[in-house]
Amino acid sequence: MKCIECGHDAPLANFRYLYNARIDASISIRQCTNCEEWLAVDELKGIVTQKITQGDAPWGKSAGIEGLAAD
Amino acid sequence: MAKAAIADRSVKEFEEKQEWWWAAEKKRSSRLDYLRKAIWKKGAIGGLYAPGVKTDLERAVLQTQKARELEFSPDPYVIKFAKMLAHVLDNKSIFITDHAQLVGYTGSLPHTIAWDPSCASILNEEVYNDPTAIPDPAEKSQQIIRDVNNYWIGKSDLDKMMPIFDMEDLMKMLSGSIGWGVPLARGGYSSKDYEYIMTGKRAFQAIIDELSQKIDEADEQTHAPGATPDTTRMYDKINNWEAMKITLEAGIRIAKRYARLAGIMAEHFEEDTIRREELLKIAETCERVPAYPPRTLQESLQYDIFIQMMSRTEAIEGAWPSRPDYYHGPYYNKDVNIDKSLTKEEAIDLLGEFLIRAAEVCQFKPKWSREGLQGIDGTWVWTIGGVDKDGRDACNDMTIALMQAARLVRVANPTFGFRWHPKVKDEVMREIFECLRQGLGYPNLRHDPILIANTMHWYGHPIEEARLWCNQACLSPCPPTKHGFQPMRMANATANCAKIIEYVMTNGYDPVVNMQVGAETGDVTSFKNFEEFFEAWEKQMKTIFSILVRAVNRARTLAPNLTPRPYLSALSERSIESGMDTLTPSLERGNAWITAFTWVENIDSLAAVKKLVFEDKKYTMAELKNAIDKNWEGYEQMRLDFVRNAPKWGNDDNYVDDIMVRCLKAAAKFSKELKCPSGNNWPILPENVSGNIHYANIVGALPNGRRLGDALYDGGISPGPGLDKKGPTAVLKSCGKINHITDGRAFLLNQRLSPSQLAGEKGYQLWKAYMRTWADLELDHIQFNVVDDSTLRAAQKDPEKYQEVIVRVAGYSAHFVDISRKTQDNIIQRTVQGLG
Repeated sequence: MKCIECGHDAPLANFRYLYNARIDASISIRQCTNCEEWLAVDELKGIVTQKITQGDAPWGKSAGIEGLAAD
Repeated sequence: MAKAAIADRSVKEFEEKQEWWWAAEKKRSSRLDYLRKAIWKKGAIGGLYAPGVKTDLERAVLQTQKARELEFSPDPYVIKFAKMLAHVLDNKSIFITDHAQLVGYTGSLPHTIAWDPSCASILNEEVYNDPTAIPDPAEKSQQIIRDVNNYWIGKSDLDKMMPIFDMEDLMKMLSGSIGWGVPLARGGYSSKDYEYIMTGKRAFQAIIDELSQKIDEADEQTHAPGATPDTTRMYDKINNWEAMKITLEAGIRIAKRYARLAGIMAEHFEEDTIRREELLKIAETCERVPAYPPRTLQESLQYDIFIQMMSRTEAIEGAWPSRPDYYHGPYYNKDVNIDKSLTKEEAIDLLGEFLIRAAEVCQFKPKWSREGLQGIDGTWVWTIGGVDKDGRDACNDMTIALMQAARLVRVANPTFGFRWHPKVKDEVMREIFECLRQGLGYPNLRHDPILIANTMHWYGHPIEEARLWCNQACLSPCPPTKHGFQPMRMANATANCAKIIEYVMTNGYDPVVNMQVGAETGDVTSFKNFEEFFEAWEKQMKTIFSILVRAVNRARTLAPNLTPRPYLSALSERSIESGMDTLTPSLERGNAWITAFTWVENIDSLAAVKKLVFEDKKYTMAELKNAIDKNWEGYEQMRLDFVRNAPKWGNDDNYVDDIMVRCLKAAAKFSKELKCPSGNNWPILPENVSGNIHYANIVGALPNGRRLGDALYDGGISPGPGLDKKGPTAVLKSCGKINHITDGRAFLLNQRLSPSQLAGEKGYQLWKAYMRTWADLELDHIQFNVVDDSTLRAAQKDPEKYQEVIVRVAGYSAHFVDISRKTQDNIIQRTVQGLG
């Protein structure tokens, strides 16, 4: 998997697992061990989908009437 | 927001945009506005104290100074301890905040955090190693801290007790994997005998007079002809009574120091005539209380503050049991409705300030504790509403005024727990709703008839006492009566329950702390059916609960002699009467409970194993164990299967709901085998505070699809965030399958509602109908977050602009910007339920 911030290339498991904010989604937050950037990762595809900055919601909206997360 | 921008916009504009915090700022009086903004933020942000907040060294130095002086004194320890306490109260710096009408603080300055060095050396080490809170100049402060710490090594409460605990149990507890803190009589949640001290019948001076009489009579008895075991015991009683007297006299003296300070400020420094009058009123108030019973609302509130401040000088209090409308309500009624000596607005100013005085209280706590209670110092869940001892509606004008004051000052702590019962009037329900709609996250709603019955069921409290209950901590009802109140609920009787299911998978070995903590229940791959698996679960549950309970029982038994509480005893009728320390187990009925953190992970995990491994046989246990041992790394599709294709709690699905009920009944049965030193039961109380975040890196991967690092569920019996997909009624129906009287002590339920749906009269009616279902299903608790995603995301992005947004975390509320990113995300991912 490749970090979209610094280009660091390593197996998915080598990116530090932080947490999965939606247990029922395959998107997790990992940290690049090279540049320490927080990254949203599609665990099934093994790709970085975006950088995480303050206020970002890579897993979409809350579950319930305001719209289920897309996964 | 810039000052001008606030001034230019109307209250209505802010309310329409649901920017309740700006609306409150415009609506409150200039006094309340000043006092609210003058508070130093004491709750830890994530796990760290806010910039500028410093550890108070003054008290630590005073206490150590007196301890050294008394080291070779022939006094018994209880007298020495009382003298130390008196020395601190007599010499600590005091201050009066501008515009304040109420006084009293735990520290020596408004920005300080009180530090009690006599509790535990491990706490003192944290003071030394927390550079952000060490006062300037740092080098000099560190020297002082070193000196204080060196003195208390081997002498602090915990240091004295550790060698006489079961060392194996202690190591398991201190590993931090299964419990929460240490068993100390001066570190936890102290209920109080409010029926003795808050009903206006007596105050400190009357108790001192009674103590003097007791001492004289005992002295006479011990010198009369004859000698029996009773005579011998009398010497201990005299010591206890003497110690109680010392603390109460010191309490009166510090109040008089405040009176003197207010008088000096009025006569020599204050030029404003109105403020001068206020200062003279403070002086008069502090001359009166706590020596004599209050006569007015201001005196009653001040009396309460003094009681609490002194209690927080004697011990590290993690909670604030209180029933303010019940005990202060008569004074409110007299001043506002009968004498008309206060306008309603003036009374609300006083109540708002009362909330602010409580909000600023802080005592130095270890980092694990701060992480578990992010954003606040302790759970000040004040109880309001309910019934009186005869079962009549106890709501009064002050119940309403308190909620109105809360909406104006918008502090995150204290919060309210409202005792709902069928006779609560609509006008009160509307006030509760308004607090919720305005995003305070409180009051939470408690089902009074169910909890009264529950209190009687578990401990045998008589109905007249059970009806008087107030929260001892977040959720546990305790009668504030002579034999009903529990003087200390030690914080370590808190189980990290997710470890139960984790240990089933690991044969009791904890891979995170690398030690055998749980029971050896066998290789999980050898279990042939779900019943064997469940049997292992039960054994792990019993093992963890027993470790925690044994430690508390031991500490409670040792406490009266090793770590007495003379001040708390002095406020307790049973101690005045008996001459025994209030911690003596035989004096109380017992009100013990095990707080069950991270409980629901067990239920969803058990359901997933039952369905996918034992019934559908889609995976073998060996495959599951392998995936879990690897933290699901490389097994994402399988992990998602365990999340999505196994039944989940909170969807009115009997498959998993039956497992919840079975687990609770197993725990409830075992609760009656566990006994506290008073001979009573240890029921479980599922709730989390923010322990679900603290434990995220301590609990390994689980069969419910969670990985090491993921936040655990938000607690109690709340479904996993985002996993309750069948709507709010299904959640209530699942929870309604639990017997909230006999299956446990109380059950926290978080629900998140949409602010737009709650708008207007329609919103109120929708909520009220929902609450009717809640009441009919006899759930004991429910609490709400009513803040939308966009506000919370905006607050993450621009925290400066959203400093005042409040959220309900678990058993408490916090300002959203004060909790960690992971906790914030955990709140955002909770399902937003649609009503109607």
